[in-house]
Parts: sequence; C-alpha cells; structure tokens
Amino acid sequence: MAEPSNTPPRREAQAGEVVAASTGRSLPRTLVSVGLPLLLVAVIVLLLPMVVPKFVSSQITKMMIYGLFGMSLNIIWGYAGIPSFGHAAFFGAGAYGAGILILKVGVSNFWLNLLLALVATAVIAAILGIPAFRVFGVGAGAANPIYFLLATIAFGELLSRLAVSLRPVTGGSTGLSGIPLPDLGLGFRMTSGRFYYLVFVVLAVCLYIMYRIVNSRYGYALRGIHDNERRMQALGYNTWLYKYTSWIIAAVFGGVAGVLFAYYGQTLVPNNLAMITSDIAFLLVIMGSTTVFFGPLVASVVYVGVEYLASLYLPERWPLIFGAMFVFTIMVIPDGLGVWVFRGWRRLFRGSAA
Amino acid sequence: MAALLESRDISVHFGGLAALSDVSFAIEPGERVALIGPNGAGKTTLFNVLTGQLRPSSGSVWLKGQDITRASVFSRTHLGMARSFQITSLFSHQTVLINVLIALQGTRKGRYSVFRRLLRDREIQAAAQRLLESAGLWDLREAVVSSLAYGQQRKLEIALSLASDPELLLLDEPSCGLTATESADITAHIRDLGSRTTVLMIAHDMDLVFGVAERVLLLHYGRIACEGTCEEIRSNQMVRDIYMGTRHAGLR
Amino acid sequence: MSQALVTGLNGLSYAFILFLLAAGFSLTFGVMGVLNLSHGALFVFGAYVGLQVIESLDIFWPAIILAAVALAAIGFLLYFLFLKRLYNRVPEQAVLTIGLSYVLANAILWVWGPRAQITAPPDILSGAFSVGDLSFPKYRVFICGVGLVVLVLLWWMQDRTRWGAIIRAGMDNKEMTASLGINYGLVSTLVFVMGVALAGLGGILNAPITGIHPLQGDNLLLLTLIVVVVGGTGYIQGTMLGALVIGLVDTFGKAYIDEAALFFAYVIFLIILLVRPSGLIGRRVF
Repeated sequence: MAEPSNTPPRREAQAGEVVAASTGRSLPRTLVSVGLPLLLVAVIVLLLPMVVPKFVSSQITKMMIYGLFGMSLNIIWGYAGIPSFGHAAFFGAGAYGAGILILKVGVSNFWLNLLLALVATAVIAAILGIPAFRVFGVGAGAANPIYFLLATIAFGELLSRLAVSLRPVTGGSTGLSGIPLPDLGLGFRMTSGRFYYLVFVVLAVCLYIMYRIVNSRYGYALRGIHDNERRMQALGYNTWLYKYTSWIIAAVFGGVAGVLFAYYGQTLVPNNLAMITSDIAFLLVIMGSTTVFFGPLVASVVYVGVEYLASLYLPERWPLIFGAMFVFTIMVIPDGLGVWVFRGWRRLFRGSAA
Repeated sequence: MAALLESRDISVHFGGLAALSDVSFAIEPGERVALIGPNGAGKTTLFNVLTGQLRPSSGSVWLKGQDITRASVFSRTHLGMARSFQITSLFSHQTVLINVLIALQGTRKGRYSVFRRLLRDREIQAAAQRLLESAGLWDLREAVVSSLAYGQQRKLEIALSLASDPELLLLDEPSCGLTATESADITAHIRDLGSRTTVLMIAHDMDLVFGVAERVLLLHYGRIACEGTCEEIRSNQMVRDIYMGTRHAGLR
Repeated sequence: MSQALVTGLNGLSYAFILFLLAAGFSLTFGVMGVLNLSHGALFVFGAYVGLQVIESLDIFWPAIILAAVALAAIGFLLYFLFLKRLYNRVPEQAVLTIGLSYVLANAILWVWGPRAQITAPPDILSGAFSVGDLSFPKYRVFICGVGLVVLVLLWWMQDRTRWGAIIRAGMDNKEMTASLGINYGLVSTLVFVMGVALAGLGGILNAPITGIHPLQGDNLLLLTLIVVVVGGTGYIQGTMLGALVIGLVDTFGKAYIDEAALFFAYVIFLIILLVRPSGLIGRRVF
C-alpha cells in the first residue's frame, strides 16, 4: 500500500525558541511574548473563584483536569506520533490507584497517594507498552498504525473489564465512591474551594515539566521519530526506547490527571478506564491541535463548556453531541482550535513586544 | 590491517527470487569505492543488508573486524557507519537547522536528556553551523525542508549522513535527480571528505563514479560481476555489455 | 459430554454471527486500510431496522433484506461523505468513525428507546431438532447455514473472480492498480458498502438469539477487533478462523466457568498480539 499520510503537520514554532537560538535575537523576547500572556491567564484563573459562583469554579477545575489528561496524550500523539486510543487506561489507573489506596488501604496522605498511584500507572504502562510497540511498525504501510490503535483500544477495555471483575478491590461495576477531599498533611484543612488551587498548582507544575520535556534533547528526538523514524534509526537513535519511555511518561501524566479526577468526582466507575474516557482524551488532542503545546488545554475549556451546557438543556442527547464534536472537528476544523488561538495570541502579543 | 567493511557471502532471497547471491568484498579504510550495476541488480538491497535494515538469508557483514550481521540499525551508526538514502529521507516538517541538530544529536551524549534544551546547546549549534556551511546550506537554515528545492534537499540528505562523523559512509545514489552542475558540486564535496572517511557509493552517474572512486564493484543480477580500478572497468568489455545489454555475459 | 454438542452448536452459530460482524470490517480494514470504528454501532442499527420492519409489517424474510439494503445505503453515505476524504489518514478515520458511532447509538436510543429488544424467529425456524435427548435449536442451525453460504460466496469472490483479484492487487499497491485503468474507487466503494451491509445482516439475524440493545455497539466493536486480529486480515478464511476460535472458546468458556465473559477471548487476543501479530491466517504485515 502507499505510504500513509500520518506524517506530522508542521509544528507551530514555540514562540521565539528557534529564532532566539539561531539568529541571536535577545531571549527576553520569548519571556515577554510567551511569559506575559501566560502570567495573565494564570492570574485570571487564580482570581476567578472569588468572583464566580461555586459551580463555575467546579467546571473550571474539571477543565484543568481534563486539560492535563489531553496534554498527557499529546506528548505521545502530537510529539512522538503515537496515536494511542487507550489512554484512559492510565488515567483510570491513576484514579483507581488513588481511590483504592484511600478507601481500601487507608493511605490518606495526598502526596503519598499520588506517588504510589503514579508508580502503579508507570508499571502498567511499562507492561502494556511491550505488546503495544510490537505491533507499531516503522512507517511501513497503512496497516501498522491500525494494529496499534486496535491494541490500545483493547487495553483500555481490558482494564475496565478487570475493574469490573475485581469487585473486592475495585468495587466491581458500581465502582468506588465516597473518596474524600485530599489530605495534604501538616494539618492543612482542605475545602473544595482550596481543591481548585491544588489542581491549579499540580497542573502548572505538570505543564512546566511537560514543556521542558518536549523542548529538550529527548523531546526533539521524539519529534524526529514522528517525522521520519527510519532516518532516526539510521542516525543512531534507539527509536523503540524513545517511544517506550515517552509512552510511560505520557501515562504518568495521565495518571496525575486521574488522581486529581478521583478527588474531584469522588466516585469512580470502570468506564473511567474504558474507551469512552479514552475518546475524551483524543477528542481534546484533535480538537485542540496536535501541533500546539497548549492545544488540548484550549480544547478542554470548550469541551467541558459544551458538556455542561448539554447537561443543562439536552442531557439525553449528550452522547450525540459528543459524537458530533468528533465529526465536526475532523471535517470542519481538522487542524484544531489550538492553531487559531496560537496565531491570534501571537498577533496580539508579538506586536506589543517589539 | 583488517578491512574496514567486509561482506562475506551475503545472499538475500525473497521467496523464490534471489536478490543477492554470495556477495563478497572488502573495503579498506580510506578507500573510495563505487558500486555500480543496472537497475534491479540489488545495489540498494545490499546497502540495506550492510546497514541492518534487512537481514540476509545467509552470509555476514563485518565492520572493523566485528560481526555486525545481527546488529540493529542504530547501533551500526555508533560503530562508525552512516548512510544516505536514494529517496531523500529528511525531517520534512522541521527546519534545515533542526534537521541537522537532530542528526548531530544522534551519536552524542545527552540525547536522552529530558531537561537540557537542544536549541541552547552551544557545542551542537557550532557543529551544525560547520556542517551546514560546508554544505552551503547555512543561509537556508530557517527554511522548512519541505519548501526546499530538490537539489538543496539532496545536499541536506548527505549533510545529515555526515553528522555522526562516520568512518564508513554509504551513499545511495547521491546525485540522483540532480542537474549536471549540482552533480559536479556533490562530486567535489565527496572527494573533499578527507581520508578519515571511507566511502562506498552507489551511483549511476559515471562522471561521479570516475571522479570519486578508486575502485569499482559491478553488481549484476545480485552477484558481483567484476571489480577493479576505474581504468580496468572503463575498458572492460563485460561491463559495456551489461550496460548496453548486448549479452548477459554468462552471469546467470 | 453430549451436552457439549449443544454447546458446540451454540458456539458455532455464535462464531458465524461473529463472522458476519467481522467480515465486513475485515474487508474494509484489511483490503482498503479503512478503519471504520462505527462498525459495531452499524450492526446494532441493522438489528433495529430489521426489528422495526418485523414489528410494523409482521414479516421476517423481507425484513432481513431491507435491513441489509438500508445498511448498504448508510454505508454508501458514510463512505462518500466522510471516509473518502480521509484517504489514508487512519487516526482521523478512527476518530471520525468513533464520533459517528456515538451519534448513531444515541440516535437509536432516541428513536427506539433504551430498552433491549428481541423478536421471535419465524415459525419455520422456531423450535428445535431433537436428536436423542439433545435439542438443537433450528434457528441456530439456520444461522450456521447462512454464515456458511456467505463464507463460501466471499471466498469464491476473493479467489475466483476478477473483483477478488483487483482487490488483492489493490491491497499490495493501490496506485499501480489504479494506473492499470481499473476503477479502484468504484471497487472500494462497493467493498465498503458490502462490508456495512454484512454487519447489518449480522445484526438482524442475531436479533432473535440474544436480542439487541442500543449501547451494544462498543462491545461488538471490541469483539470485531479481537476476531480480526486473531484471525488475521486480508483473507476471508482468516476472519472465519478468528471467529471460530473466539466464538467457540468464549461459548465453551462461559458454559463451564460462569464469570468467564470474554476473558478467554482477551487472553487469546493478547497472546496473538505478542506472538503472531499478523494473525493466524493473515497477510504478513509484521
């Protein structure tokens, strides 16, 4: 068969990065054109809970959590070119990990919980990664991404069935409920209001780490692999190792989102591992633009917004609207929203930084 | 002194078809060798075996006295082998500079670092500048590869294969599709590579072959039909026959 | 022990249903490299269309034909409006068709309501054949018959007809086939439409056995994927083998171990993925 065109679209240059390095224009320009607007958004998000009703800040919390989920998938999908359809396996693993640790094992400390859940997620990713990449192939025809997609779909479903069967641990098909607010230790009293800020902080830290990773030596290797894996191998890169490790990294970040989700919704069901949740992740990635770093976060805002409105006016038709978003994105805005936002942002802030 | 590259009785069978049969030759360090032959003779197949993209049905490949027949593609690059592709194989969605940076990183320490930024590394940037300047592509470093002209892409193709500072460079039709001027450019470029780099080159362009090669191997129907210096090859009747197609010269 | 024969028949008829379900997917996926993840939802839709016809017009046989035809029409629209534009872009096809499966499932829910539906097999086929003290439901035997006919037809088409040759050539090299003046586009469309029609056929034929529910699409898609991976793609016999393996293992598994539900199928799936990714009888893709 002819070569598939799942080659990466041109990545929108990280504002000023390449330019700064190679033409020697002053670095502070990056800081101004990226840092300032980012700071602005951050300040707005931090101040919002004081001016909006509770339910709005709750939705924003959800936007942040799902945003993180989407961005974790984009590490492998957008950067490394690994289209996983089973990312909820890791999201759910993190969530269930946290839930089980709190409710069944009695670990109440948030940080300990987070750490252990992430370790569990990493282990699951390490195990699933092996068969997954066996069927990945090296750009040798249309068949290969399909098998990988199928495998990843099956993983999520498998884990969700496992969750259903392991009733004593996972609560079976009814799942786990009654997860309390996180206990940060040191006598700090957590409220749902403060939970918002916790999520914000975790998100900010994760975003920073992700940003460093995708712009690092390793990150550029991933981009190379996405663009032309065969050449990367000829250049001396152990591409399997890169793909495998990026898979685990993406899983861990997905797991973080999952842990936050467990505390947010306080209830977990096997569907959190299943395809229906994985679908949210790649909707966010595709709707948000695979080529823009913050893409999935932008998409998350739109997604949660639409979901909320649907829950108010058309709750019965939500799956239809959900599905329609997929169709709409692919057919009407295939490059995603992130690209528009990025260009608008650049025009707005680049001009003023001159 | 051990040969740099040795091919011992390499055979490749695809189903009933013998793409390569008992191909044996040796390349000494510092040599410039050309691999010629009509289309379908198995030249690229041989390259694929030498670089590890294809496992031979039988036979072995030796690099610097080590059996690398089963070695992975990427490990061969670390052993000093590099390759360019006949069909240009670049990172088409990245800029020229990033193409070279990624290529340079491939055999350097720190390529797994998740925190050190590629674009801020002075040493690699300097190496990239040297590589691009010698290829005459420094001014185009910000251009996205897909926007480059074919000739420029070919130059970048070779530049990338030089990134690992290889001892053995395998060039697959480096002047494929280039104009006469561009070919002459490439010929000079390869000639100037220095004695530290050994070159094995697949070529159809005889000007390129005679301009660069000290020794020529002729591959025909998957076998080495003859080898010799340029003079010997030029005056060999069998070579003429193979290319002119007058006789099959009893090579079946 | 002899009860095993009855279970065997159940397994076999289940295998044939799986075959009808997976054959369509295998054709479009294995042949054209088109990933249609709404396949499960289409199976469900076929069942509902057929059931509606049966309920409104009180006829069985035409209902089956109508269901297949309706699905063929939908398949045509699906291909023409959407999938044709996403030539070779597999992740996009996957995302699009997943979206469509949600839309379709919810539309079904909207029109026909959330409760499962079932119908009785037509009179000629109700009841069972008695052999000793074993009873073999007639309808299940019928399913096996239909499945066998479809298998033979598709196999013949694949190996003996010009169409099959075109399709096989196209699998190897689409451009070459097209440049030979063969209207590969038309062949592709027809193959896809047929694949979807088969799914619909499977859906309505299955309805009298286990009934149907609007949200079964996901489960069915998963089964399809498992069958196709286990059996291998590119050859219709591969799909049949995959369906047989999964159908029989799952049925016998459930018969003897209560909670088995798909467990053995998953295990086989993972083993195949690890050991022989091309499937039992598949074109070597790895």
